Amino acid sequence: MNLYKYASPATFYPLAGKMIPWFAITSAILFAVGMYVGFFIAPTDFQQGDAYRIIFIHVPAAWMAMFLYVLMAIYAGIGWAFNARLSSMMASAIAITGAMFTLLSLVTGALWGKPTWGTYWAWDARMTSTLILLFLYIGFISLQSAIDDTRRADRAGAVLALVGVINVPIIYFSVQWWNTLHQGATIRILGKPTIAGPMLAAMLIMLAACWLYSVAVVLIRLRCIILEREQNASRFAEVNA
Amino acid sequence: MLRWIVWRDLTLAWRRRADILSTVFFFVIVVSLFPLGIGPETQLLRSIAPGVIWVAALLASMLSLNRLFANDLQDGTLEQLLLTPQPLFLVVMGKVLAHWIVSEIPLVLIAPLVGLQFDIPGETLLILVVSLLVGTPVLSLIGSVGAALTLGLRGGGVLISILVLPLYIPALIFGAGAVEASIIGASPAPHLYLLGAFAIVSLIFSPWATAAALRISLE
Amino acid sequence: MNWPDLSMGGYGFYVWGSYIFALVLIAWEVVSLKQRKKTLRQQQHAQQEQRSSSVSPAVLTGSANETTS
Repeated sequence: MNLYKYASPATFYPLAGKMIPWFAITSAILFAVGMYVGFFIAPTDFQQGDAYRIIFIHVPAAWMAMFLYVLMAIYAGIGWAFNARLSSMMASAIAITGAMFTLLSLVTGALWGKPTWGTYWAWDARMTSTLILLFLYIGFISLQSAIDDTRRADRAGAVLALVGVINVPIIYFSVQWWNTLHQGATIRILGKPTIAGPMLAAMLIMLAACWLYSVAVVLIRLRCIILEREQNASRFAEVNA
Repeated sequence: MLRWIVWRDLTLAWRRRADILSTVFFFVIVVSLFPLGIGPETQLLRSIAPGVIWVAALLASMLSLNRLFANDLQDGTLEQLLLTPQPLFLVVMGKVLAHWIVSEIPLVLIAPLVGLQFDIPGETLLILVVSLLVGTPVLSLIGSVGAALTLGLRGGGVLISILVLPLYIPALIFGAGAVEASIIGASPAPHLYLLGAFAIVSLIFSPWATAAALRISLE
Repeated sequence: MNWPDLSMGGYGFYVWGSYIFALVLIAWEVVSLKQRKKTLRQQQHAQQEQRSSSVSPAVLTGSANETTS
């Protein structure tokens, strides 16, 4: 089967259109199932009471934030290395969804922090790294917004995303380092509750739901980007005809 | 070729001495703002000094990055440099080295004076200088990637800051950490080693990334 | 099926707040994408009309590329 024809935006466009409803519906179903397992089946936690139930959205959001950044960098890199326009467009389409999951992770993390540690923001290693990840997303989006030429925007974004992806483990490590240095006087951070069966199941189901949602939403955005570029290209051609 | 680029940039910078001095003045002013905002209590100032001085160094470096490529872009030299048979990353390394000498070394030299304002003990002042000496190359190297990516774009300095400041964070953590360790009597060595490692990694990867970014920006 | 404690042991604001915020973000994303799609469709129709009525393209206005929104 010749898959390469789908590398063309024009060919991929209708395929994406057919895929979106399936992903959207399955995602909605999994959200419902995940919430059910998380709220009706998983027991109340011994240490944190019912407040822990935030993890069913917080942890999947945090994981998605990371996955999507890496995925974005991979697509951008492929788009740059192989001059594959669709791949670069995919990277641009992922960026906002990734940033949103990062924001969601930060907000739900803060809402989890208040009842469990007494403060909305405790500058622990994980939340601080997530905050920096948000800055990296914002940088990528800002850079692409500032460049009018799509070719340059795609490639510049690729360089930035790749530099970012290499730096993420370094940043994460340095934040861990920073945190252990300063932790003595500050709040003792309780870790995640020990994961019992239904809790883990709920988290994984919600993760799958977030993943499918992301695919649907990114494909919708990708189609918008394909249309926009096509329009600008034909407008450009007409003006210069 | 490398030597020629460094020499050329240094000469051009010397002719515009005011630019260099303004970076130093900015550094000193920013550092002085903190006591004004927080209060002159010595104990407090000593505890915030490492972070404040390092953040000010980051910000001052940010401002000087525009000069790295913009002037050469304007007078057409940059395009010529891209056409030479010499590998572009050597050209980049030359410019980054010149930038470090011109924009960062002055900060390193004035840091002890600034440290005195915060009542930092003598031995720690030495660690401060060492940490900046090891850390400022990182600022120039990573900053050059941002400068190359944003060449000629509107939004200028703020855009570079958004791109580059998050990437500076490990240097900030290790650099300020070294100084703080020295203040409380712990060994700054692990911090300095990590900072050095980060500098070496930056040295290996950023000229290549900057060269790629330059080609992308100038096509 | 045994209903969970809806007040979440007093932590209702935090738990439900989190899920409501998630819903708000999802809704925002979907709505803004629908809006973007609609604008594009309108522009596409406008372009097609102009082409088919063979009006001189000199009146076309340019706009900045939008690769994200």
